[in-house]
Amino acid sequence: MRNIVTFRAGKFTVAVTALLALAGGFVGVNAAAARQPSAAVTGETYVIGTDTTFAPFEYREDGELTGIDMDLIRDIAENQGFSVEIKSLGFDAALQALQSNQVDGVIAGMSITDERELIFDFSDPYFDSGVQMAVAEDNTEITGYSDLDGETVVAKRGSEGETFANSIKDEYHFTVKALADSATMYDDVKAGNSVAVFDDYPVLAYGINQNNGLKSVTEKEQGSSYGFAVNKGQNPELLAAFNTGLAELKSGGEYQDILDKYLDAPATSNDTSFFGLLSDSLPALMKGLGLTLLATGLSILIALVLGVMFGFFKVSESRVLRGIASAYVSIFRGTPLLVQAFFFYFGLPQLTGQSIDVLTAGVLTLSLNAGAYMTEIVRGGIQSVDPGQTEAGRSLGLGYATTMRRVVLPQAVKIMTPSFINQFVMTLKDTSLLAVIGFAELTYQGQQIYASNFRTGETLLIVAALYFIVINLLTMLSNKLDKRFNK
Amino acid sequence: MSKTSVDSKVSVKGLRKSFGSNEVLKGLNVEIMEGEVVCVIGPSGSGKSTFLRCLNKLDELSAGTVIVDGFNLGDKTVDLNEVRQHIGMVFQHFNLFPHMTVLQNIMLAPVELKKESKADARATAVKLLDRVGLADKADARPAQLSGGQKQRVAIARSLAVNPDIMLFDEATSALDPEMVGEVLQVIRDLAADGMTMVVVTHEMGFAREVADRVIFMADGLIVEEGTPAELFGNPQQERTQDFLSKVL
Repeated sequence: MRNIVTFRAGKFTVAVTALLALAGGFVGVNAAAARQPSAAVTGETYVIGTDTTFAPFEYREDGELTGIDMDLIRDIAENQGFSVEIKSLGFDAALQALQSNQVDGVIAGMSITDERELIFDFSDPYFDSGVQMAVAEDNTEITGYSDLDGETVVAKRGSEGETFANSIKDEYHFTVKALADSATMYDDVKAGNSVAVFDDYPVLAYGINQNNGLKSVTEKEQGSSYGFAVNKGQNPELLAAFNTGLAELKSGGEYQDILDKYLDAPATSNDTSFFGLLSDSLPALMKGLGLTLLATGLSILIALVLGVMFGFFKVSESRVLRGIASAYVSIFRGTPLLVQAFFFYFGLPQLTGQSIDVLTAGVLTLSLNAGAYMTEIVRGGIQSVDPGQTEAGRSLGLGYATTMRRVVLPQAVKIMTPSFINQFVMTLKDTSLLAVIGFAELTYQGQQIYASNFRTGETLLIVAALYFIVINLLTMLSNKLDKRFNK
Repeated sequence: MSKTSVDSKVSVKGLRKSFGSNEVLKGLNVEIMEGEVVCVIGPSGSGKSTFLRCLNKLDELSAGTVIVDGFNLGDKTVDLNEVRQHIGMVFQHFNLFPHMTVLQNIMLAPVELKKESKADARATAVKLLDRVGLADKADARPAQLSGGQKQRVAIARSLAVNPDIMLFDEATSALDPEMVGEVLQVIRDLAADGMTMVVVTHEMGFAREVADRVIFMADGLIVEEGTPAELFGNPQQERTQDFLSKVL
């Protein structure tokens, strides 16, 4: 299931990282600190990375991380006397975090593959998966692979489902389309864009239990096994403890209880009305919104300082200062925000050996990015003030700084304010990109919710409405302040 | 900071100024005495304004020496901000600070330069406004004033730092004709008070009436200079005659 493509993405990120490091002019040293394996795990706390949502292995219910993987790792930890701190990062992100030693282990419904065994050490398999095909609930025409002639099916990009579908598409004459996650694939089938979906059977089974509007029509194909992973050569005692714990849970029957709990559970009777969804999801979304505003506020403040500083550099008479400011702006305007986020969260720790928490990385990314745009706003504002104003100030005997402060800046700020408000809104929206590094802001919370309840459209509508309301309220407030102080 | 002869307020020797490869001033020599009013006339592009802007170093000098009020402007150790407090400048486009009231415009430099307390600066500003006939406009914003009123405020603003020399850069060129008179009257009054002034102007009648000396510039050079009677009544150079025949 979980893919090989992931690794290409990982390598790509590292390559970009190295490139940026060179461009930034500092020398990268791969000094990922090696941990000393301790004799026993008792009393230790391990940081475990996982996917954001991969129901039923990991997902959130009422804001709490739950699922087969979560129950398993927690029970094993308890059984073996160590503690775990779970970090819900996303699948790709969790693997990159493991490679950069930001986490000690990863449990994320990850298939044990040859490629992965080159860089990770895997535990004994804890789950046997396999691919299954499902169609829309009301579809009576497709009952097996032979009914797919001339049709389009959907599978998760880079997954075993995609590999399997591709292996039989010539035989049954159908087309395979790849999408990124389960929830969107199911929507694609329900919308009629594809007639069937190939997905891992536990994921499908869970979705069907959640009334996702699909039904499975084939038996599961023999597939791969899931394992818990640690970085190659690191934390051997953790791996050993996992294996021992797993064996004990299996013999004690708790293992089967966990599987039954998630795979055979009857459909939950959640409130399925829109308002039910709204009231269920609002607490998590509000928490996300809080983080969105926090990241935006911090980033804008830092960006303002950077923008004013580099903006002054840009209009200064010193060629060196102008060069520094121009380089800064080119780098951060000339690379995508997403690449910058990956760089600060995954790349920088690999280069420096110093791990960085997700809020810091997120704020660093946004403030440096917004600072580049702010620099241009400040430069533009200062330069749009009539040079005659500076000349008048200087001819009176006022110094450069005084002329700037008393004559040029008050006029420039007035010109800049609408652009500042605009940048503020842009930065607020850009926080949604931090979902990719697992920053639990508003969009991330929305993804979490629809990934486990499969109500993508409605959930995104609520998320969009929240952004809309907050952004428009803040814009109105800013414009009011602008009018008040810049008349 | 060598002091030159006591009477010489401005001493210019071999002044050259280039913008890139374009040489705008091609070697000027001028001496201006204390209390003298010098009008500079000449066609557009002759270098009049550039010459004026070199006297307070709003434009860098390319070559030559300029000594103003005893300060050698070519000397890197000279504090330009100090020198400029001795030289008032009035611009064609007024350059009033639009975010300040008239009074604040005038008070800014004395207060920022710590020459006067706020209260004293205010009293001075009110006096100066009265002198230029705008006592009732103290709390107006520049945008509420006519062109002539703006220029009179600009003159009051320059006078607030108590300069020894005033430079006027085509101070009436951007004005509607009916407002030229009120500004010229203020300049005339200043001349009568004994202020040393360099006035770049297109107002030939004014130059003839007020100037102690008139300088005619063309193509970056001083072509001819003399008393108004000499220069306007009996110009020696063909270039001068040609120019005057067109503007008079």
